[in-house]
Amino acid sequence: MNNLTDRVGLGWRPDLAAGILEHLDGIDLLEVIADDFFCAPSRQIRALKTLAAQIPVVLHGVSLGLASSSPVVTERLDRMARLVEEVSPEFWSEHLAFVRAGGIEIGHLAAPPRCSATVDAAAANLHRAQAAVGAKPLVENIATLIDPPASTLAESDWIAGILSSSNCGLLLDLHNVLANGLNHGYDPCEFVRQIPPERIAAIHIAGGKFISAPDGTQRLLDDHLHDVPDPVFDLLEETAARAPGPLTVILERDGHYPSMDSLLAEIAQARRALAKGRERRMRPAEVVA
Amino acid sequence: MSSTRLEAFLARLYVDSDARANFKGNPRAEAKKAGLSDEQCTALENLDWIGLEMAARSFAKKRQLKRRPSWFAAFLLRLSRLRFPPFLQ
Repeated sequence: MNNLTDRVGLGWRPDLAAGILEHLDGIDLLEVIADDFFCAPSRQIRALKTLAAQIPVVLHGVSLGLASSSPVVTERLDRMARLVEEVSPEFWSEHLAFVRAGGIEIGHLAAPPRCSATVDAAAANLHRAQAAVGAKPLVENIATLIDPPASTLAESDWIAGILSSSNCGLLLDLHNVLANGLNHGYDPCEFVRQIPPERIAAIHIAGGKFISAPDGTQRLLDDHLHDVPDPVFDLLEETAARAPGPLTVILERDGHYPSMDSLLAEIAQARRALAKGRERRMRPAEVVA
Repeated sequence: MSSTRLEAFLARLYVDSDARANFKGNPRAEAKKAGLSDEQCTALENLDWIGLEMAARSFAKKRQLKRRPSWFAAFLLRLSRLRFPPFLQ
């Protein structure tokens, strides 16, 4: 029996809007990309508020660079603060990444060196974020094709260090866990077991594709353009078996959109994985003779 | 140890193919030139080179996608390139 109020929702994308609005009864909540609304005209903000009145909405940032060694840019935090104030989401989230450094915009999420210095820098940025926005974000683990150089900590220890220093909750992206595990040689399931379960508040599920490396090997790219693979649902079950609190699961899809029925089927599969994990959690531990 | 310089160095490698080529040619010297510590220079000598190339390619695609104009902007651009007959101008 699952007594926890786990929920499964979908990332809001303009291309999916009609389908989402037609099937609101099958979707528990929506995750909106905050950055898409930072410079939006007031009528778009009003539309977002109307949406939030119909279904729970959470905001997701992609460009603050909270795990940068440099202090997060105040103007960017202010924009997030304004949007959070206007929309009143259930929570907001951002990535443990750096996206710019030395005046250069990388254009996407990059993994900083995983060391005690970046644990401290991320914690300081998260305190700044909380002060500006008025609420702590959930922080998300990222996928990286390159193993970040000068790292002295395992990824799970680095994340746990930031969660502990900042007292933030985790948005655990399970496809990112799968991709990093396959690309950098560790067991994704073991990684999930190493994350403090009480910190896990939300989960991303998504799909990707294998791309060829110059040496003929393959790496898994987290592109959000493909269906969620079975190992991600297995990791979801494992997470649900370990996490003591309610979980909010978001299906991310950024293109090559399938039919709404396919997305709803993935949402249903996520619900089944959650239920299986919760059932395992309720089962008494086996006694070893 | 601060990672600010290292992040700036990595950011340059991710976006600049010439910087990557120079770095590949002489990793330690390039890292030293950027003011990185001995420890960081050693780490960069043992870099995940394949990962660097793949990440740089992936970041370039993301930047390209961000530069792509919206359908409305694209429509306006196309409209502005049309040659209208004189009586419509």
